[in-house]
Amino acid sequence: MGQNKRKSKLVNKSVSLDSGNSFFGRLWKIIFRLFCWLYAVISLYPVIWLIFYSFKNNSEIFVTNPFGFPTTLRWENYAKAWSQYDVPTYFMNSLIVSGVTVALTIVLALLFSYATARMRWRGRNVAKIYLSLGMFIPVQAILIPVAKLINGIGFDSTRAGLITIYTAINLSFASLVYYGFLKELPVELEEAACIDGANIFTSFFRIIVPLVKPATATLIIYTFLNAWNEFNLANVLVVEEELKTLPLGLLFLQGIFTTDWGAMGATMVIASLPTIIIYIIFSKHVENAMTIGGAIKG
Amino acid sequence: MKRVTALLLIFVLCLSMFAACSKKPSQETKTPDTGKQTNQDKEPAKDKEPAGDSTEDVATDEEITLSIYAQYADDDTKVPYDYAVEELKKAYPNVTLKLEVQAQDDGQKLMTYAATGNLPDIYQVALAQIENFKQSGNIMVLNDIAKATGFEDKVFDSAKNILYNEDGNIYAFPYAGNEYVVWYYNKAIFEKYNVEVPKTFDQLLEAIQIFRDNDIIPMSIFGAEGWITAAMYDVIATRWDAGGIAKLDDGKGSASEDAYLNAAKMMNTLVKAGLFQSSASSTNYDQAAQLFLNGESAMFINGQWFITDAAATLGDDVDWMYYPSYDEASYEAGKAVWSGGGAAAGYAVNPDSQHAELAAEVAAFISEKYCEAKVKYRGTPLVALDVDVQPEMEFPAMMQKLQADIPNQTSITKFAWHLTNAIFKTAIEDQTKYLLVEDYSPEEFITEINNALAQ
Amino acid sequence: MKKFYSNKPAIILFAVPALFVFTVFVFYPIVQVFNKSFYDWNGLGTGTFIGFENYTKLFKDTVFKISNKNALIFAGTITIFQMTLASTFALVLSNQRVKGREFLRIAYFIPVVLSVTVVCQLWLAIFNSDSGLLNTIFQRLGINYRQNWLSNRYYAIYAISFVNAWQWMGYQFALLMAGIKSIPNDYYEAAKIDGASTFLAHMKVTIPLLKETYKICLTISLTGGVKAFTEMFIMTKGGPGNSTYTLTYLMYKAAFREFRYGYGMASASILVIQCLIIILVINWLFRDREGRDAKWGRIKEKAN
Repeated sequence: MGQNKRKSKLVNKSVSLDSGNSFFGRLWKIIFRLFCWLYAVISLYPVIWLIFYSFKNNSEIFVTNPFGFPTTLRWENYAKAWSQYDVPTYFMNSLIVSGVTVALTIVLALLFSYATARMRWRGRNVAKIYLSLGMFIPVQAILIPVAKLINGIGFDSTRAGLITIYTAINLSFASLVYYGFLKELPVELEEAACIDGANIFTSFFRIIVPLVKPATATLIIYTFLNAWNEFNLANVLVVEEELKTLPLGLLFLQGIFTTDWGAMGATMVIASLPTIIIYIIFSKHVENAMTIGGAIKG
Repeated sequence: MKRVTALLLIFVLCLSMFAACSKKPSQETKTPDTGKQTNQDKEPAKDKEPAGDSTEDVATDEEITLSIYAQYADDDTKVPYDYAVEELKKAYPNVTLKLEVQAQDDGQKLMTYAATGNLPDIYQVALAQIENFKQSGNIMVLNDIAKATGFEDKVFDSAKNILYNEDGNIYAFPYAGNEYVVWYYNKAIFEKYNVEVPKTFDQLLEAIQIFRDNDIIPMSIFGAEGWITAAMYDVIATRWDAGGIAKLDDGKGSASEDAYLNAAKMMNTLVKAGLFQSSASSTNYDQAAQLFLNGESAMFINGQWFITDAAATLGDDVDWMYYPSYDEASYEAGKAVWSGGGAAAGYAVNPDSQHAELAAEVAAFISEKYCEAKVKYRGTPLVALDVDVQPEMEFPAMMQKLQADIPNQTSITKFAWHLTNAIFKTAIEDQTKYLLVEDYSPEEFITEINNALAQ
Repeated sequence: MKKFYSNKPAIILFAVPALFVFTVFVFYPIVQVFNKSFYDWNGLGTGTFIGFENYTKLFKDTVFKISNKNALIFAGTITIFQMTLASTFALVLSNQRVKGREFLRIAYFIPVVLSVTVVCQLWLAIFNSDSGLLNTIFQRLGINYRQNWLSNRYYAIYAISFVNAWQWMGYQFALLMAGIKSIPNDYYEAAKIDGASTFLAHMKVTIPLLKETYKICLTISLTGGVKAFTEMFIMTKGGPGNSTYTLTYLMYKAAFREFRYGYGMASASILVIQCLIIILVINWLFRDREGRDAKWGRIKEKAN
């Protein structure tokens, strides 16, 4: 099956909200397009706003110029953020913790969802709902029990502590998404494989894993961001300076009363700009991966 | 098959990474880890008593690292800390401090540390948490150390109230003295619009009208913080009853008393008249402060620690006024009645620390140095200890005026964070914030406060 | 086939690792939460067992009522907002010929990439009634309408829900996009042959076939609404007063500000039970057992 053929098929799938060629139809279309673009601008605005913000001082941020371009570019905000804590180390820690969390979550959740959505055993529905409990519990409620647990197994002051708990918490959501996607996949594909004599493992890796790529792509992004931005657990579980993750950098800028919001903006830019850039670069690849994943069976 | 191997590879890779990252740091931190272990073992055996072997530690010159959990984010917290660390190097060359920066998280982190037995050797603690830690044995009694180090003797007589806990013991070494809720105003704006400093609430209402007519915010308040709205309410309540919110906290009064209802009604009247900026209840500290510093608001309410910043930005244009009252006579009488106060909080020590006694000595030392630094560099003489240092610069005029006024004061209340009844504290913070909303009735307010007091 | 799917070693190998990690690190703490909800306990040391007292107190608490009302508003707002917009955008952008498709797709997802703190600070600035963007826009348009968006005891919760809905719309959009991608093309081709207009094709093919994806979206919105916390914590601290409290916020207040840990845990327990009920109801609503292919057959039949 050639790449071209796949593409031509996708064009067929494409549908637009055409409401005929009447005047009102066209007017509606223009208004709708305008709305789509306006919404996109509102969605992008926070990034620009945050970058402006990071060059301002408290007075500009709150009173004189909350939305416009900064009057002077205060690079000292960045200098301050950078000097407060070891940015490269924090960054690396965030990267390792988030990366491993994503890998573990994806693997465990996909395996589990396959077992509950496709395989037949008693209690699979209960197991599914049991695992979804994790989505309901606010993290502040389990803060102390989790900290005790992590201490108890000697995972305190390690990255492993954060990784395990992040994985456990993200499992519920990832399983829910995978479950939904697996439920939607037709059974014939596996039937064919079964008749060809493949066992469940080869069928899982060869058929299922590629087919759920669209879900995997969205879950990787979501889980990564969750782990990357997590503050509450990291705040309580990480003591060692050399193990701290980026969100903890904010601690150095928030006083009991006053906060250096400009430097905080700089910290947030340092933390979120890489994720935005990575997202934009990779979204093309993600898109392609999704397309192929979807088309394999077409 | 390719996919299978690829997936397996990923799995193995992340497992190995997992293992690698769990191993490495635990090797690095092996020593403190074992330390914690022994602590936990000892925990049930000793209660509040410092470990017996700690005295040996003091005597020997062995290198000791103490962990400390402290505020360290702005000049007000960094300058004293850095100064204290410098001084500590001279006095205790064998002791190094390992700082952990305190999070603005309502004490979640400290609480978790206490629950898991990971409390740092020395930690900054608020009064409500002391009450909590007292019951669970997470805080050391410092009476003996306070005597031995001479800390007790250095505390100003006027600040004795902030050394001893209600039960008579010392649980923390304070550094801040009694503090005050100060009603700041911008003299230049008042003069420009020909407004007299209000003595009564009626005059205040007139002033509000004039400022409103000229697009000036009469008073900015950071209503996102419950403690300042509680302070504002306290300021008004003390005009009728000098006990203010402290009286309710001590369980000596009911919110149904006239004073509290009058105060709620007055606050509601002022809010309706437009005393505060319109987004008051979601305005943060810096935002409200900037409104005042930029001359957008004529008045501002904050602690006396703001004097330094205000004087630095507004110079001679800024001053403080006595709180207005319901009539002139009570205004004059009320000059001696202040909102604010201090509490027996500060640097506390973990009784299960390996070097508890040394930690206690160091905590006392640091607190003293904080006082020195505050007098020397932060322009405030309002500290707990009588320290023998000269300020680097003259205190701002507002501070001198306040200092001169202190001997005349007859009564002082409490800041919200010094309240001991945690349920009442939360209620007064939330409910006074609610009073910033025009359509919240004073009666609703009183009912909620009484409910909290009944708990 | 039955045999193929009931491979015992495979079931164990697939299901047990996740169950193990979850049980130890999430379920066990949840059990602790339920357990402690029966104690009068300050979070440290040992508490006293008081049975259901925390719960009876909770049900009488005015804040508990407010919290539940807010949960409904929050969940409702974000569900409607996200479902409508995410569906519309996903369906439009599944058309490869739409101009600027790539750009729009990235743009809609951007708020998800940002941290909640950033998003909340932005909207705080926008909602500000003195210098905020919203009121300024009204002013420029000559509309004499000033609103204290976050300081109104009745409407603040809507403003906060909107911020959450706005931030996470992009994620539901991405999920729906992924869902559409995984719909086999044959279905559309058949619809085309049947002469269905594109809009009808969506109504009849895409949306019914995305049932499971919609189920996920609904679960996320509803449970997300019930346990909302961070937005309140950053933007209003539950205020004005306690008008934007949620169960999570109530739990936080009780446990960490009032040192009534047991009481807070009772609130958290109720929260878990509510979410569990929601998920069971959703499962029941979406319960039909027919697979995608059967559904497709039905659609085709109707078309003929």
